[in-house]
Amino acid sequence: MTEQLLVVEGLVKHFGGVRAVDGVDFHADEQEIVSVIGPNGAGKTTLFNVVTGFYQADSGTIEFDKFPLTGLKPNRITALGIARTFQQIRLFPNLTVLENAMVGQHARTRSGPFGAILRPPWTVREEREITERAREVLGFFGDNLLPYEDMMAFELSYADRRRLEIARAMATHPKLLLLDEPTAGMNPVEKHGLVSLIGRLRDERGYTVILIEHDMPVVKNVSDRVVALDHGQEIAQGTYDEVSNNEQVIEAYLGKKKAVESA
Amino acid sequence: MADDTDTKTPEPTEATPGSFQRGIMRLPVRTIILSVLSIVLLIFIVWGTSRTLSLEVSTFSGDGWKRLISDGVARGAIYALIAMGYTLVYGILFMINFAHGEVFMSGAFTAFFMARWLDQTGFLNESPVISLLILFAVSMTVSTTIAVVLERVAYRPLRGAPRLVPLITAIGASLFLQNTFRGFYGASAEAYPTIDILAGSIEILGWPMRKIQLVVVLAAGALMLGLFLFIRKTKTGRAMRAVGEDKEIASLMGIDVDRTIVSTFAIGGLLAGAAGILFVYLFRGGSVNFFMGFFPGIKAFTAAVLGGIGNVVGAGVGGLLLGVLEAVGPFLLLEGFNVPSPNQLQLLISFSILVLVLIFRPGGLLGSADEERA
Amino acid sequence: MAVPATVQRETAPTETSSWLNRSLFTTGAIGGLVVVYLVAVGMVESFQSLNVLTDVLSLGRAMIIISFLVVGYLASRRLQRLGHEAEGPRLAGGIVAGAVAGGVSALVLLFVNLIGVEHVRRMFQSFTVNLVDNVLSFGQGVAFGAIAMVVGGAVLGLAGAGLALLPDRLRRATLTGLGTAIVVSLANTFIVAVFRNLESNFGLDIPLGWLYTGTGLAYSGLVVMLAAGFAVSWWRTRTPPEPEATRVEAMSGERSLLGLVRGRPAKVVGWLALLALLVLMPLIVGQFLSQVINTVGIYVLLGLGLNIVVGFAGLLDLGYVAFFAVGAYATAILTSSASFLGGPFNFWVALPLVVLIAVFSGILIGAPVLRLRGDYLAIVTLGFGEIARVFIASIWLQDYLGGAQGILRIPGPPLFGVNLRDPTNLYYIILAFCLIAAFVAWRLKDSRVGRAWAAMREDETVAEAMGISIINYKLLAFAIGAGVGCLGGAFFAIQVGSVFPNSMDLLVSINALSVIVLGGMGSIPGVVLGAFGLVGLPELLREFEEFRLLIYGAVLVALMILKPEGLLPEVRRRRELHERELEEEQYEGRVGEGAEPVLRAEASEDEEKK
Repeated sequence: MTEQLLVVEGLVKHFGGVRAVDGVDFHADEQEIVSVIGPNGAGKTTLFNVVTGFYQADSGTIEFDKFPLTGLKPNRITALGIARTFQQIRLFPNLTVLENAMVGQHARTRSGPFGAILRPPWTVREEREITERAREVLGFFGDNLLPYEDMMAFELSYADRRRLEIARAMATHPKLLLLDEPTAGMNPVEKHGLVSLIGRLRDERGYTVILIEHDMPVVKNVSDRVVALDHGQEIAQGTYDEVSNNEQVIEAYLGKKKAVESA
Repeated sequence: MADDTDTKTPEPTEATPGSFQRGIMRLPVRTIILSVLSIVLLIFIVWGTSRTLSLEVSTFSGDGWKRLISDGVARGAIYALIAMGYTLVYGILFMINFAHGEVFMSGAFTAFFMARWLDQTGFLNESPVISLLILFAVSMTVSTTIAVVLERVAYRPLRGAPRLVPLITAIGASLFLQNTFRGFYGASAEAYPTIDILAGSIEILGWPMRKIQLVVVLAAGALMLGLFLFIRKTKTGRAMRAVGEDKEIASLMGIDVDRTIVSTFAIGGLLAGAAGILFVYLFRGGSVNFFMGFFPGIKAFTAAVLGGIGNVVGAGVGGLLLGVLEAVGPFLLLEGFNVPSPNQLQLLISFSILVLVLIFRPGGLLGSADEERA
Repeated sequence: MAVPATVQRETAPTETSSWLNRSLFTTGAIGGLVVVYLVAVGMVESFQSLNVLTDVLSLGRAMIIISFLVVGYLASRRLQRLGHEAEGPRLAGGIVAGAVAGGVSALVLLFVNLIGVEHVRRMFQSFTVNLVDNVLSFGQGVAFGAIAMVVGGAVLGLAGAGLALLPDRLRRATLTGLGTAIVVSLANTFIVAVFRNLESNFGLDIPLGWLYTGTGLAYSGLVVMLAAGFAVSWWRTRTPPEPEATRVEAMSGERSLLGLVRGRPAKVVGWLALLALLVLMPLIVGQFLSQVINTVGIYVLLGLGLNIVVGFAGLLDLGYVAFFAVGAYATAILTSSASFLGGPFNFWVALPLVVLIAVFSGILIGAPVLRLRGDYLAIVTLGFGEIARVFIASIWLQDYLGGAQGILRIPGPPLFGVNLRDPTNLYYIILAFCLIAAFVAWRLKDSRVGRAWAAMREDETVAEAMGISIINYKLLAFAIGAGVGCLGGAFFAIQVGSVFPNSMDLLVSINALSVIVLGGMGSIPGVVLGAFGLVGLPELLREFEEFRLLIYGAVLVALMILKPEGLLPEVRRRRELHERELEEEQYEGRVGEGAEPVLRAEASEDEEKK
């Protein structure tokens, strides 16, 4: 019996006159992989931003694991178990790969200045654990990240930076991962790799994954369920086939009919 | 090896902050400190002012206050002129030209020698108007030259750099210019020769002021009006606004970004040069030295921030406001406390305004050019 | 954001452009103006009394000579970049540029003579009769002087151009040799003092007659120094220059001793030598110079503290003097018999209190500025610093803070009867605290706190999402920075014995900031180097006192333009600050790797690094 991990009801967020999110009902079950699709400006990233606390909702509710999220600050939400990546990769570019993964654990660790200066045993232990956990998370990506743990984050290739961002998100011990356009800018081979990666995230780590995606083949291959948004509202929900054949969805994408059909 | 790595549903642990964090996180520290400081400040101001105003035998009569206000407006006009230089440069490059005070100084200091020569030949007082125009010309030319050279040598190579770098460069340039002129003209202060017709007071519609104050206000007003029209009406002015909005797009539109930036600095220099002459004649004693740009520079910057940095009208408003506050403030506050020497307080007022504005309303009174800051 | 508005690039070589082009004249003219500047600002005449080479070459004239050399050098370089590789045109270019520079200077000289030196002097104070007649004209009349300048300019331009033509290694070695000679010549008083101390304290009698005569090098000294510099550079470059990656490693990790020797045993020896130097320092440099070293130590403390605020946490603080003042004044009030408290404590008891007060003030100053970024933060903190000074000097607080007269009679710390006011003794205390502060900084940097600061510095929003409380960490940075900085103030109070509001100047903040900028922000050894460079050197070169701030300002500007990451930067800073160049290179397709610049937000295709 799977529980609904994330429940969004009647969410509204506008900026001035623009209703970016206009009454969205949405949920994700435990260990589900849900894709959120929709044309640009449909409100997908805004949805993410509200869920993770970067914006405060104007109305509506968000519940995570039965816990209301409205009004919480981003760091609290991270602590509760939601992690995200960004559409335009926001790593810490001048930190090493390893350090990026270590910083991700900040919310789960404790040492303060006194620990740093005096290095009592519990700080030393915690640092070791942080490093090990960071390496473990990097190791999830095979040989792509771990051998380069001392490299500066901005030196990585584009695909590896995407991976590192996911690794950093994983380092926060989440239950739910929000991935914002994870395959943007990748070639087909890399996209394929990412699809299996997302599958592994759920199968091996038990994460629930919600991703925003534009690439329909990816969506088709990876999702359990698809939610389509347009103009801030949900226009379809269901399996990939159901949604991709939905008239409203096709209309919203206008011209994408071919891409949808050939997938 | 850390646990909970391979479990299917990892337990999210509550963020347990360390003891240090736990303590401070409970208190809204910032709010507390700010509130306390604000309240203290407010009490101080209100108390002092009320005591002053309720004094039976005040040092100042109605006329006295009016004179103070005239003084304030005149000062403010000068600050406004200099502030425009700061605000224009900020609006276009998003950097604070720390060395602008030295641009101001260079013109005033150099024109001194012309003034002295004119005085020696008697021309100064025979044809004061022409003399003044000559002085303006000299001062404005020098200031503009320094401003343009400054941009070319120190700022242009650093266009894309992170904020800290141009700031330090500007500080270095400021030190360099100060000491250059010290090396050129000497370390001692020199006094401008007096122009007789500028001395003395008059009354306009019952409002007493010194003649020079009137001259300053009129001259500054004319210059500011000219600037305003320039920015609105001319091609260069429009280009300046465009570059300020978006450098890359502006250059794609065919605007010569470099030249526009140079023009901006040049205009700032012109205004500062004019302000220089007005400054030396407004402040009794009219002395110049290599360090004279520092404090007016900071005050003018305060004015620019007060009005909203990047906002030209704001610079004007901010300047006037600052001038009046500076002139009237010390007496208003301190009479009540019967504390002498308000001059130190002038500086304090400027800095305090600067700090308060940036903390509470970084966009200034009229809104700033830099949206992300406000 | 990705494309710089103006791309600073040399124009592509065009075959049709002759070597005799405008750039030569521009270079020459600017060079000439530089010479005129040096004269007008007074440096040439002031330095006439300082000799570089016995009494044959004064520093003043040397500066002019070097200027012309540089003109020739740059002209030759310029021509090379414009596509003229051949030697002939480049040398000729050097001659022309040099002659132009000489010509400009000569014209000014003649002009000055025409108007009459006394008249010029009334505006430009540095033009004296002595300058015109003797320094510039060698006593042979202005016409001679003018011609000498043009001819000399041409000749020196030729030499400079020739220098630029030398193969890399040879050129480097020559320049190093020249540089060594000049530096050693200027360090005259310092080295003489040190050797005198070595003699009196260690019995090491090393004669220096071969090195110096009077204020300058002796001929033998010149030859030796040229050769030494040359040899060192030659030795260092015996292997080809390393590719960037290893160079970067070398800088951050395996630092070999000045690049002279590599390997484990050499490192150990190096560290031991350093240790010995530190311990024996006061004996080596003598009492007066110990005072200087102590001032350097105070600035090392200030630099370390500010490094935490600016370098680690990324908070641009221009008002650091406030913490310095707190440290100094708190020490004064608590320990001096002249303070309103009557000086109840001795230094050691007072110190923890001082630090506590400073930490509190750090939080007080940090709290209002938490939301400000960049320039605004800098200005506000600068304002705080100045406000602090006004308050300290004010009449209302005079009873507590001493007003303009300050607080006097600050006693030295008691330590088993040792007089700690004596600079040679105070040195060890300051050294100890510097080491402690450096240790604290080092530990913090490489910890969870340090990472949190770094993340905050890179991307505040995302850092917050990671659970980092921005408020707390910013306040922490201010608090610790204040705690370290106040030590500098405390020792300053002891060193001088009194505190005045005038000492709590904006210049202290600027100095502290410059120290860490020069050394490299975030880099701990950089702070030490910066302190020596910016504080120590000017003290040593007392003759430059008059032009100290001038040179200071020029150095800051030059530093920012040429090497903004400082002299001993952290690896990451160099990348961060040169990203624009990386960006440009990438734009031109020269760098095909995945080393993408930091700011670029767009996704780009297919950049495999491996």
